Amino acid sequence: MSSSIILEGSNLKKTYQLGRAEVPVLLNASIKVIEGEWITILGSSGSGKSTVLHLLGGLDRPDANGGEVLFQGNSVWKRSNRQINHYRNNQIGFVFQFYHLLPELTVLENTFLPAMIGTTISSTSSAKERSVSLLEQFGLGHRLSHRPRELSGGERQRVAIARALVNEPNILLADEPTGNLDEETGNEILDVLRQLHQGGLTIVLVTHNMEIASLGDRVVHLRHGQIEHPATLAQ
Amino acid sequence: MYQTLLTTRYLTSRVIPLIAVAAVALCVALVIVVVSVMSGFLNMVQSSGKTLMGDVIITYGISGIPHYETLIEHLEKDKKVVAASPVVDGWGLLRMPYPDSEAKQSETVQVWGIDPVSFAKVTSYHESLQWRAPTKNQLDWLLFDAITENQEMLLINLSDEKRDSLVEIVNSASRTLNYETSSLWAETQSLLGETLWEEVLASDERLTNPDALLQQGISLSQNGSVGIVSGLHVSEGNERQKDGTYQVIRNDYWWLPRYDGTLTMLPVDSHGGIIEPESMIMPFVNEFQSGVFMIDESRVFVPIGVSQQLLHLDEAEIVDENDPTKILGVDPARATSVLIRGDVNVSADELQKRIVQMYDEFLAGLPSDTIVLPPSRSDPGLSIHTWEEQQRSFTGPVEKERELMRTLFSIVYLVVAALILSIFWSIVFEKTRDIGILRSIGASRGSIVWIFLQYSLVIGVVGSALGLFLGWLITKNINSIHDAMGNPPLSVAIGTFVATGCIAAYTIMKSRSGQMLPIVLGALGCITFGGIGALILFIRHIGGLVIWDASVYYFSIIPNEVDWPSSIVTVCGAILFCLLGAIIPAAKAADTDPVKALRHE
Repeated sequence: MSSSIILEGSNLKKTYQLGRAEVPVLLNASIKVIEGEWITILGSSGSGKSTVLHLLGGLDRPDANGGEVLFQGNSVWKRSNRQINHYRNNQIGFVFQFYHLLPELTVLENTFLPAMIGTTISSTSSAKERSVSLLEQFGLGHRLSHRPRELSGGERQRVAIARALVNEPNILLADEPTGNLDEETGNEILDVLRQLHQGGLTIVLVTHNMEIASLGDRVVHLRHGQIEHPATLAQ
Repeated sequence: MYQTLLTTRYLTSRVIPLIAVAAVALCVALVIVVVSVMSGFLNMVQSSGKTLMGDVIITYGISGIPHYETLIEHLEKDKKVVAASPVVDGWGLLRMPYPDSEAKQSETVQVWGIDPVSFAKVTSYHESLQWRAPTKNQLDWLLFDAITENQEMLLINLSDEKRDSLVEIVNSASRTLNYETSSLWAETQSLLGETLWEEVLASDERLTNPDALLQQGISLSQNGSVGIVSGLHVSEGNERQKDGTYQVIRNDYWWLPRYDGTLTMLPVDSHGGIIEPESMIMPFVNEFQSGVFMIDESRVFVPIGVSQQLLHLDEAEIVDENDPTKILGVDPARATSVLIRGDVNVSADELQKRIVQMYDEFLAGLPSDTIVLPPSRSDPGLSIHTWEEQQRSFTGPVEKERELMRTLFSIVYLVVAALILSIFWSIVFEKTRDIGILRSIGASRGSIVWIFLQYSLVIGVVGSALGLFLGWLITKNINSIHDAMGNPPLSVAIGTFVATGCIAAYTIMKSRSGQMLPIVLGALGCITFGGIGALILFIRHIGGLVIWDASVYYFSIIPNEVDWPSSIVTVCGAILFCLLGAIIPAAKAADTDPVKALRHE
């Protein structure tokens, strides 16, 4: 069983400094992600669910002695800066609520960007082909040279997912990917995720929406800075 | 690779880089123009000093250097010395021909007694002479003078009828010539007949030979007697025009070469006491313009013999104090200075060292029975200086002024640097979210810094290059720009008012939509163009603007040579500040946690 755990957060603690006050967000959160599953972290606004995702994705560091993030059994935060960059670039794909595309780049360039960051020039042409095929797969084949501001919200989020996938990561981390979209468009995005999951991709999704949470294989709750074990809510 | 892509996109898809390039260009151009003008100014002061006094000067105060001919002869033997020339200088009073009443005005002048031939070899004296050939008007005045001078002879030789006509022609000419040209020349020629006409013309060489005017200036003599050449600003008759040329007031009536001047100098005895003043009347043979106002307003040149005589520095007999009939020997003529021009390849300092040696050789070489010995080198009154040292009293203030400007400009540099820094700071700050995105998808801190380094390098290089070009363009044309400011064309004013009208109409049309931006921009446009137009009209109303006043700045033109070393330093500095301005905030942003940077709005 333990061999199939691809990503693990154990006893994560994170405190934010808000002016003079220290606001503890995560008290002792632990989570195990099994390879190939779609796990949903459900929690209300401000419960710290995005923080969990940031810690897992190597974007934010836990407190000192605040637990560990293990990817394939190795601690992420004990790596060198270069290895962390590689982890963000190659092993993790991140999808944000607000898309976070670069406004100056075209759709294709945005998608292609992680490949350019992570690889040498010689391998970029194959990455470019993969970008194009991903965008075509997501129905954006006619939008390649458009700028993000010319796209709708749903289209932007599909570009963001294509960008997250271009380096063929092991895990997709999605932070409220439909939070900024209307229901119909949101469902389109969820369909895309479902297809990817069916293709074998591991997905960690964060949401406050029970309905969306039900789409995953497994749901964990984040309450009072702790993740409640699935055993307690298996029903 | 992606850094270059991003840099290119950042540069081409926004207006901010254009503003940054313009700001850098303007700052660089501003610094280049001011520094170039200031150092050009100092160079002009120094080089004019050099052309006016040679490379090295030997000076011995009031009593002068005896046996200076021997000294010069000895100096000219050296290969490093091109020429040497004696000068006897002192202060004097020059009685000017004006005003028309009996009480004439006197000017205090610095008299330089020179040997014109050798002086011309040491300095560019020839080129500084103002009058090359008389103009039509000046010729008329010379003819008028010649007729007046010969009037007795003419009146005797003419019939009554012709006499009356001549008097009438000359009188009417004297009235009209003050304001306009007259036909004096043709009328008198037909009236006088060939013989008398020839005789009148013969009384002034300049009437028949226009080149004589320049030759008299060069030789400091007229008809075999000595003459005086005065600085262009000594005479109040010369008026500087806005275009930098000179005109003699009252239609050349006060043209100095028409007149004589009385030069009075105070000789000093061996104890420094003043003896009886000495005077001499001489014709003005020409005027000179060195370009240095301080010299042009006070210096006059006379033949060296004249100033020696007026200052009692000429050759004299030494008599026994107890028996005035007994002659002990000869006190040789003296020169207060000897100007030396060196070979082009020899620096002034090197030449000065050589001249010091040669002066000692000259002292040692004098015959042992010499009665009057030149000052030894230990005499504090004797100085052997380079032109730079000699000019220090004059260039010193200018150099101080330049240092002051440099200091002030280092503050301007700081302001420019702060401006560039703040522009880049805001550009990078605005891109903090992009930096967060790039970091979250695996870009390293170094590569983030590299993006903005490239970005600022392009802006710095393009901006500085444009600034350099702009600075060069302004500096080269600074005199025409100054002239245009002095006399702005009416068409420009009309053009700006038309533009104001168009903008106003457009603004009123646009303002119906209720939007603020067109109203604000329109109002600003109206104020700018209307203001420029009004300013032009005002400048025209007060008769033009002279910012560069030759009487204050010593020179008739603004220096227009670009100071390349300073310009290159400025360009490099601007690029460096661009890099610093970008690299500091970029490094700061790259160090921010991706999550914090992503939250940046």
